[in-house]
Amino acid sequence: MFQYILRRLLYLIPVLLGVSFIIFILFNLVSGDPSAVLLGKNATATQIAELREQLGLNKSLWLQYLDVVKSAFTFDFGRSWATKQEITYMIKQGAYPSLCLTLPAFIISTFLSIIIALIVAYYRGTGIDLFVRFLCIAGVSVSALAYILGFQYLFAYELGWFEISGFEYGFPDFVPYVALPGIIWILLSLGPDVRFFRTVILDEIYQDYVRTARAKGLSEITVLLKHVLRNAMIPIITYIVIQIPSLILGALLLESFFGIPGLGGITLNALNSSDFPVIKAMAILTSVAYILFSLLTDILYTFADPRVRLK
Amino acid sequence: MSQSLLDVRNLTVEFKTQEGIVRAVNNVSFSIPEGKTIGIVGESGSGKSVTSLAVMGLLQKPAASIPQGEIYFQGKDLLTFSEAEMRKIRGDQISMIFQEPMTSLNPVFKVGEQIAETLRIHRSLSKKEAWEKAIDLMNQVGIPDPTQKAHAYPHEMSGGQKQRVMIAMAIACEPKLLIADEPTTALDVTIQKQVLDLLFKLQQEYKMSMMFITHDLGVIGDIADDVVVMYRSNIVEKNHAKTIFESASHPYTKGLLACRPRLGANPKRLLTVSDYMTEEGEEKKIDTSRLTVFDKEILTRDSSSEVLLEVKNLTTSFPIKGGLLGRTVDQFKAVNNVSFSLKKGQTLGLVGESGCGKTTLGRTILRLIEPSSGQIIYRGQDITKVYGEELRLLRRKMQIIFQDPYSSLNPRMTIADILIEPLKIHKIGKNEKEQLEMAKYLFEKVGLKQAQLSRYPHEFSGGQRQRICIARALMLKPEFVVCDESVSALDVSIQAQVLNLLLDLQEEFGLTYIFISHDLSVVNFISDFVGVMNKGQIIEMDKASKIYQSPINDYTKTLLSAIPKGGAFQS
Amino acid sequence: MKKQSLWKDAFYRLIQDKWAMISLIIVSLYTILAILSATGLIASDWAREVGASNLPPSSEHWLGTDLFGRDVLTKVIHGSQIAMSVGLFTSLIAIPIGVFLGAIAGYFGGWIDDLITWLYTTFSSIPNIMLLISITMILGKGLFAVYIALGATSWVTLCRLIRGEVMKHKEREYVQAAGAIGGGHMRKLFLHILPNVTHIIIINTSLQFQFAIKSEVLLSFLGIGVQGEPSWGVMIDDAKLELARGVWWQLAGATVAMFIIVLAFNLLGDALRDSLDPKLKGK
Repeated sequence: MFQYILRRLLYLIPVLLGVSFIIFILFNLVSGDPSAVLLGKNATATQIAELREQLGLNKSLWLQYLDVVKSAFTFDFGRSWATKQEITYMIKQGAYPSLCLTLPAFIISTFLSIIIALIVAYYRGTGIDLFVRFLCIAGVSVSALAYILGFQYLFAYELGWFEISGFEYGFPDFVPYVALPGIIWILLSLGPDVRFFRTVILDEIYQDYVRTARAKGLSEITVLLKHVLRNAMIPIITYIVIQIPSLILGALLLESFFGIPGLGGITLNALNSSDFPVIKAMAILTSVAYILFSLLTDILYTFADPRVRLK
Repeated sequence: MSQSLLDVRNLTVEFKTQEGIVRAVNNVSFSIPEGKTIGIVGESGSGKSVTSLAVMGLLQKPAASIPQGEIYFQGKDLLTFSEAEMRKIRGDQISMIFQEPMTSLNPVFKVGEQIAETLRIHRSLSKKEAWEKAIDLMNQVGIPDPTQKAHAYPHEMSGGQKQRVMIAMAIACEPKLLIADEPTTALDVTIQKQVLDLLFKLQQEYKMSMMFITHDLGVIGDIADDVVVMYRSNIVEKNHAKTIFESASHPYTKGLLACRPRLGANPKRLLTVSDYMTEEGEEKKIDTSRLTVFDKEILTRDSSSEVLLEVKNLTTSFPIKGGLLGRTVDQFKAVNNVSFSLKKGQTLGLVGESGCGKTTLGRTILRLIEPSSGQIIYRGQDITKVYGEELRLLRRKMQIIFQDPYSSLNPRMTIADILIEPLKIHKIGKNEKEQLEMAKYLFEKVGLKQAQLSRYPHEFSGGQRQRICIARALMLKPEFVVCDESVSALDVSIQAQVLNLLLDLQEEFGLTYIFISHDLSVVNFISDFVGVMNKGQIIEMDKASKIYQSPINDYTKTLLSAIPKGGAFQS
Repeated sequence: MKKQSLWKDAFYRLIQDKWAMISLIIVSLYTILAILSATGLIASDWAREVGASNLPPSSEHWLGTDLFGRDVLTKVIHGSQIAMSVGLFTSLIAIPIGVFLGAIAGYFGGWIDDLITWLYTTFSSIPNIMLLISITMILGKGLFAVYIALGATSWVTLCRLIRGEVMKHKEREYVQAAGAIGGGHMRKLFLHILPNVTHIIIINTSLQFQFAIKSEVLLSFLGIGVQGEPSWGVMIDDAKLELARGVWWQLAGATVAMFIIVLAFNLLGDALRDSLDPKLKGK
């Protein structure tokens, strides 16, 4: 077991190097020299040279690449061009509001999706099944933007049931601010999640061992909830865990529209102001999180599936 | 009437398919007395499994319907039972075991739990009590070290052991009726015997009735009291086992009985169902010329003919990876130091259980798998070091017919394209028209109609597909053909047809065969020499007749004793 | 028995599925509209001022006008051109790369497989949105950047799928048989295996198309996508300010237009999956 984890950790290294390389190419090579842009039209040559020194742009490409790799471990991303703040500080500030929104929404939507998928699997082939499937496909086809604009306009602006935007720290103060975007998040996730869970569950239902379970005299519900679900959980857990890193990014659009000062909002602001270091930092951060969580997923997988379990 | 435990009357089962309504079971009636075993025999698609599923109430309702019939169990009609009532019976009064032990157990639960589950639903035992009883059951079915093994997961057990677990689950509540749907078909011959013996023993002990479903009449002979023969959804004959074996009346039954190759008998050809019966089911007069028996001892194929193939110290090993960086830590010798020689026109049979290396040996000889050491000498030339164009030319001489008729043909190519492909690769034939002619010729030689050349593989049955594979192998006019379990996936009656075909072709084209199979009777029928393999080595090799009459090696003796004697009744 | 290949078989099954047929018709319709718009035969005058600003839908202007008095319906049609082109170019980039890399990785195994696996693992470790945003921004925004960004991210799923399928088929007996009759690697891979994985490419493309359309809308909305012409994303971006003033028709037009085509691709993808799944066993 230990050997397996070690082996997977070892494999992380080339992936990390590869990710750093891609980010390096994008941000250091392709994007060009920002110093002139930052200082404006009247910058003198000396000023530009100084800034370049400061920003580390004079270093050789190889060293610049290593800087990227280093930042993946130290999480030191330098300063934002727009706000001049230390990016690490910005990230720490933004994490809390993001998680207040995404974490509860994620947990609720996951539970709901599993339950709906189970119900739909039980009633497979019937009208309920078709109806829910259609809803899912339709839900997925509407742009998130439409949901956000529509809901915000209708429920917050017109009907006034929720706050339109803003955020307050501390529970339960943040609830009215997070409720509507949270609901939208849940609605957006239900579509793809239910479809996936349903497929996974149905794949299991047609397996031979289910026939054996029925032959033993088990009720259809027991078969579904005990035998099928336990097997279906294997790919389901994998699917769920790998989504967790995205929670950090928050919901880019939701935060922007609802004025929640989370990481998503930070990223979008950086987008609007062409604040490359921040975007770069977010890319590195989320990639590292993804890599770590995929390792976690693999490990969880070996616990969940006895066929893969190593002695 | 009241002695019958199960009384099926006029049962008809239909399925809604894309092509319309299909009648899987047509007006079937039979009964099983208490404590007796009934064997239900038929080819795949004859409706035997569907019948058993109907008894258990396990047919998937929207697609399947039962327009007519009654199933009386202890006097009550099961078809009138509600789902809740059926559930009480399933696993308790009537149990079922299935064919594929590999997939019939839930992979994420321990086997002990799965056995205990039956007890907890039907007998309301506590967790502890049920677990104890599960261990006891595992002991009864012959699983060694049950206290430990109960904690094992299905994938940690062999096929035979898994089947024993299924049996333990089935007898846990001491059912009145045990339905066994082809329980031994997927198992090795020696394990088959063990499982059959086990079932027989348990049946006597628990005084159960048993419904045993199989396509192999031979298997039934050992354990059934009564036999029901099904053909195309109908019962064509039902009687006591002894009567069926000694004096069957329906031509289909006679055909089934006759087509199984039997050790000790040495027919030139196997009789097949079509010798006894027309397509529509009418009896035919048997062509007595087909009954020629010949003595293998006397009619050895020309011993002065040249040696075509010689294998010397052949070893094929596969690396076992391990350690931190996935390095090779050891070698697994699938084929271990094998040597033999084969003369032109002869047939060498390689027999052994799964994992003994016979398939690997066959493929290594053809260089489909690379040997690790040793020599393969074909017509005096060592072909282990041949590559590129030379190897390609060699391929024309040596061909293979695979086991699975369903995956050995490219589903997206027409039969014509499949047959012509070898010609195209080797640039034989001036143009496509000529190539097509060659294809037509062989296609008809293997017994198929020319008009079907433009069809696709999925439009043919298993037996027909295997014939197409044979035709493909012969397109390049090879001298030497490896038949890798080529009839193992076929029903017994189809098997006989294909075996006859192989023999005919051998005679006509002067072919040399290596015939690989786990079925000793089949190997014995078709081969001149037989090599018994175990753990990568040939442990005994001799003339086919000698191996049967006087085997030397213990393993060979075990293999021979495991063959069902059902055929012993045959006249 | 009907004499037909698996393709014809699938085709007949597809025809019988009425939702699939409706979807196919919708896709064709949008394609035609897109082509007409791209060649300038219709909607080329989307920039023209045709009336007062923010007029509600009427018989003259079915979707009303926008802030600059431009006809919203014309803009929507122009947007379809952009949407379909995004799907098309993304596929043109992603399919060759994904299929080629996936095929050789699955077929040859060994270090080639290790390398390609590392490559797509790396690409998929960066969350899609981040990669899309990063690439688009750095390439200077605009439609072309969107093509590149989407192409660079979409090949990964296809590569993985194809790799898995090729690995499975490589071991199948019909491929071994091709080797036994003297066929080499190229023949096995291109003549035998690839035709048997084509259905995956088709299904995947249908689903990728709708993903590409949605992504373009998002990127344009964020301001880093299409510049200077109306795509549905740009329209929705404009619309967000109008809503407060009760002007809903631009939002509705773009959203509904997008909804219909994305829905169609989703339904089509599902239907294709159902009908193209090869019944290898035929039992």
